Amino acid sequence: MVRLLLTVLILTACSCFHLLAAAETARFSADQIQFFENRIRPVLRNKCSGCHNDKLPTSGLSTDSREGLLKGGNRGEAVAEGLPGESLLVHAIRRQGDLKMPPGEALADQEVSALVRWIRMGLPWPDPAPDRARAMEDPSKHWAFQPIRRPAEPAVSDAGWVRNPIDRFILARLDQQGLKPSPEAEKATLIRRAYLDLVGLLPRPEEVDAFLEDTRSDAYERLIDGLLGSPHYGERWGRHWLDLARYADSDGYNNDLPRKIWKYRDWVIEALNRDLPYDEFVIEQIAGDLMPEPTRDQVIATGFHRNTQLNLEGGIDFEQYRVEAVVDRVHTTGVVFLGLTLGCARCHDHKYDPVSQREFYRFFSFFNNIDELSGEYKNQAGRARAYEPIMEFGTPEQFARRDAIQAQLKAMREENEKYEELLVSRQEEWEANLDEEARAKLTPGHLAALKIPIAERHPEQQRYTRRAYFRQDAGHQERTKALATVGELKPDIPSTLVMRELPEPRPTHVLLGGDFLQKGIQVWPGTLAVLPPLPERENYTRLDLGHWLVDEKNPLTPRVTVNRIWQRYFGTGIVETSNDFGTQGTPPSHARLLDWLASEFVAQDWSLKAIHRLIATSATYRQSSRHRPDLRQEDPRNRLLARQNRLRVESEVIRDLALSASGLLAPKIGGPSVYPPQPPWVIIKNGARPDGSHERWPESKGQDRYRRGLYTYYWRLSPHPALAVFDSPDAMLTVTRRNRSTTPLQALTLLNDEGFHEFAQGLAYRVLRELPDGTDSERLDHLFRICLTRTPRPQEKARLERLLTTQRQEFGADPAETEEILSLAMPDGKKGQEEAVWYMAASVLLNVDEFFTRE
Amino acid sequence: MEMTNYGLQLIGQTRRHFFDRCFVGLANVALGQLLSDGKMFAAGDSRARNPLALRQPHYEPKVKRVIYLFMAGGPSQFETWLYRPELARLNGQTAPDSILEGKRFAFMERFTKVKPKLLGPKRKFAQHGQSGTWVSEVFPQMAKVVDDVALVQSVVTENFNHAPAKLFCNSGSTRFGLPSMGSWVGYGLGSESKDLPGFVVLRSGEADLMGGAFMWSSGFLPTAYQGVEFLRSAVPIPNLASPKGVSIQRQGAKLAAIQDLNRMHEKEYGDPEIATRIASYEMAFRMQTSGPELMDLSSESQATLDLYGVTPGEPSYATNCLLARRMIERGVRFVQLYHTGWDHHGNLSERIDEVSMETDRPSAALITDLKQRGLLEDTLVIWGGEFGRTPMAEFRESVGRNHHIDNFPMWFAGGGIKPGQTIGEVDDLGFFVTKDKVEVHDVQATILHLLGIDHTKLTYRYQGRDFRLTDVGGHVIEKLLA
Repeated sequence: MVRLLLTVLILTACSCFHLLAAAETARFSADQIQFFENRIRPVLRNKCSGCHNDKLPTSGLSTDSREGLLKGGNRGEAVAEGLPGESLLVHAIRRQGDLKMPPGEALADQEVSALVRWIRMGLPWPDPAPDRARAMEDPSKHWAFQPIRRPAEPAVSDAGWVRNPIDRFILARLDQQGLKPSPEAEKATLIRRAYLDLVGLLPRPEEVDAFLEDTRSDAYERLIDGLLGSPHYGERWGRHWLDLARYADSDGYNNDLPRKIWKYRDWVIEALNRDLPYDEFVIEQIAGDLMPEPTRDQVIATGFHRNTQLNLEGGIDFEQYRVEAVVDRVHTTGVVFLGLTLGCARCHDHKYDPVSQREFYRFFSFFNNIDELSGEYKNQAGRARAYEPIMEFGTPEQFARRDAIQAQLKAMREENEKYEELLVSRQEEWEANLDEEARAKLTPGHLAALKIPIAERHPEQQRYTRRAYFRQDAGHQERTKALATVGELKPDIPSTLVMRELPEPRPTHVLLGGDFLQKGIQVWPGTLAVLPPLPERENYTRLDLGHWLVDEKNPLTPRVTVNRIWQRYFGTGIVETSNDFGTQGTPPSHARLLDWLASEFVAQDWSLKAIHRLIATSATYRQSSRHRPDLRQEDPRNRLLARQNRLRVESEVIRDLALSASGLLAPKIGGPSVYPPQPPWVIIKNGARPDGSHERWPESKGQDRYRRGLYTYYWRLSPHPALAVFDSPDAMLTVTRRNRSTTPLQALTLLNDEGFHEFAQGLAYRVLRELPDGTDSERLDHLFRICLTRTPRPQEKARLERLLTTQRQEFGADPAETEEILSLAMPDGKKGQEEAVWYMAASVLLNVDEFFTRE
Repeated sequence: MEMTNYGLQLIGQTRRHFFDRCFVGLANVALGQLLSDGKMFAAGDSRARNPLALRQPHYEPKVKRVIYLFMAGGPSQFETWLYRPELARLNGQTAPDSILEGKRFAFMERFTKVKPKLLGPKRKFAQHGQSGTWVSEVFPQMAKVVDDVALVQSVVTENFNHAPAKLFCNSGSTRFGLPSMGSWVGYGLGSESKDLPGFVVLRSGEADLMGGAFMWSSGFLPTAYQGVEFLRSAVPIPNLASPKGVSIQRQGAKLAAIQDLNRMHEKEYGDPEIATRIASYEMAFRMQTSGPELMDLSSESQATLDLYGVTPGEPSYATNCLLARRMIERGVRFVQLYHTGWDHHGNLSERIDEVSMETDRPSAALITDLKQRGLLEDTLVIWGGEFGRTPMAEFRESVGRNHHIDNFPMWFAGGGIKPGQTIGEVDDLGFFVTKDKVEVHDVQATILHLLGIDHTKLTYRYQGRDFRLTDVGGHVIEKLLA
């Protein structure tokens, strides 16, 4: 009774611990304490507490104290006081169950027997005060977990340079280093930079002229405001968000089947365009379906966490992959909103950050109640449910039509089953009367099976022979065909993957070692102890999580968000590891600026556009990107931002820029993903047609050939090569920072890929069309102004004039040659020498480094 | 052959002459130097500046390059390398419960509906060579070089589905998105080739290669390290051919203008990244010109073609084996050949003969050819699939075998290994390993070890932790080493 009472007290009232411990110590004799010190403490210290200590309680267990052992870990109590036979620890060290400790070499026999004896004694332990004294440092001291306090704006050496508070923080740091900021970039560079960053398209030459001629003092601010109001802003920044959302148009895993979730992509674009406040933007994506009377849009938004991969392979356990998807949701939520690598705590407590495995599974339980594919499913019947929950966008007529067709199909199938039964009853007869012609259609396997009497065949052989029999029967053929014909009449109703809760929540357990079959103790929804708590309540749902993520006391979400925006404008975040604000992340280069921006973000009611405007209009952003010899030593990585960075734009934007230069761009926003040309060698699993086309890549015709890169259909296992080669993320895991590689394959793509070849032609035609009577010099000016927003320097112009001259000589009078090059079908497109010569010049411009670089 | 025509434009003019013509008038550019002595890739460059710069291995390497013959689909050990007379004796008997209990299989329902029966080996075995290694009759040519290989019978893996199991062999993880072995090697050692990528993939066989380009993905490593697939077509490298109508001379003229403008801009902005861009265009153009030469087999003697069984102009595993040799001669560090068609759930008897006929002679020829050219001593050749097959029969129309992860064979030949030995033992039924179990991570650790890389030290930080090819496992297979 006393033992029971003590245990309960220890478990429930840790604050009473000191009193209790004092009472306990008195219970043990000096001999017992001596035994502990000589025989037990060394074992615990050398063999256990390396992994199971107060600071790092692997699997929730700490062996640093008596109460730690009694409290146990994720599998429950480790030691039953006085009862070694019932103690998990004893089973583990005797290696009797699935848990074998310590890993590697087993304890020596005398060590095992000492521990058993010690447990029987009742775990004698000296006054634990010294143990407590060396308890862990408070992990919540890490800078990122501190509340955001709006810092005062620092004094600077040159107030004239400052355009807004951002510049004070940047300049103050440069002052410390004795560095001067760079001069403002040329106006032509500024407009190109702003267009590339804010909308991802090129400014038209007349837009550039208007800006260059605009002498008002706020001409630049007006430019930025105009771009923030452009519908293409949502496309540009939507694509950044889709990296985080691991958006793709297919399932991933082995089969990589197609899925419909583009409505979510369109929701992102639209939400950004109307500047939906970021807190609402987050809540709707995490739990739009749980909001009171949610709108359709709010439910579509929950597609965010349905972008997980889906495995529909044969022989697998769907529960395993459902768990993988839930794990991915926790990981993504951690990285995207909190800047924490929560995923590390799936199998064990986080090695560096204050995230226990138990907390991981509390987080996990928020996402564990989705009414999605789990357990086993049988073949085709289950496939209809494979993508649930979904939201459909049909008209009442479409739904009625589908119901009618389904009813008809059902009736037809039932009739067919009866017919098959009839056939089966005649199978023996059929087999007996097979003529040579019929036999010729069978495989050796069939023929071998036919020799065996039906009753004695292996079920598999039975299945094969029956199928062959059905295939040869005219009545069956007719029915199969009719089923297919009627099936094709089913209307194609647009739909999108969304979240929906199960009526009864699934219980969530800690999964030992992250294994979905190894269930530990049960846990309930909750967040991280190191962060401000959820409001007191009985139960928590995803909606509570959504609110908690954007609670004004949460110090991480605003910091992480503004840091990511900053990173897109400067190439590197204030915190370089934009996915990791934990103790293993890099410290901020400008901690006070980060906090100022974060507090400003919340003060501006979470308006993303307000932050964009602040950054894009700052003097810091407007600096020239020219490298400076003096900075090479002082700040080789340009972390202090005494100049802008040159950034190669992302894969989709490379396409967008070439498209907008070519004049071919189809500016339509949203809709189903499209299939611009891609090389025939791209591996797309199955579906190749005899004519070389592909059911999984029905090449788009007309305008859809020339849509922006973010609308290109994204197969996870075989992304469009022109995107993949420029570091498009693979959409397997959330990505906050893309690679920016430079490889020969990129050069080959821009030089030779069919798409870019067409764009170069479009650009040539555009130059000739817009300056029909222009001289070479005027046309080169125009070409440069279209592509680089500037006129050529004399040396550059001379170089291209030389190209034009030699190419005019090369392209003689032979029209066959120029017609071969000019493959693009242009209305009234001439295919003569001039077009071919200008194609050469246009192709050069689309390949120069400056073209796809944001200066 | 079309590719020969494509390369013809080069013939009759020396490379130097050709480049001089194309790059007439370049100011201050030591292009010739770039092309001839490869200064661009001199050791000492940082990876950030040039990701393909040569890097020092951790210790003296035993081999400089790897050719990995990947038999995709999971070859049956019982008809190839694992001689199990006891299984032949028990042919047709129900498989003992003790070995099936608690196990999962792909296409599980085939084993749960009806109790599976043991299936005796479908092919005869005999001992060959000094080593007396048992080899199946499906590999008559390999039997002749069996003293040059070390056979490992006891490899085990973790996943019984094709794509994840292949990923596991290649990236050390069953998840998509991690770097493949060839990428890790490129990241660790850089590239020795001026004209070709450091990691090349060739494919043959008619069946689908499940998992696709993820097998040679660079994952989170920079894309400079990804495997480049040479295609079974007139255009072996993606986008290697200029657009129709753009001759190589015209392409050269275009490139010269691009490079000139890039240099002018570099002068203006001073960003070293522009130099990297310029170098990448040089390399691209060199690939355009050296690619056709590489693929043109007309310089090979008839004896060599016969040794491999190559019919010029016909894409095949044999052609790929010969191309692999040509690639390593030109400095490619990691060549991976995939041959599909080993997934014999049914029709085992017929298909095992087909696929071994396609692969036996070329694999043996590769060893012989490398040996007579003195290349085998610093090259590692590896043969293996993603898993083995069950000792139990599976019925699909006719008899075959299901996927099996508890043992499968691999062989190794070349530098640093002790040939003529068999490592690992498997029980009489061929179900479980009984001695010297080898994990896939051990194989990977060993390959890196032979290249002079400590697998625990070749790491890359991503998503908050240090990743490595062998995850948290991997022990070098000591018995394999010379």
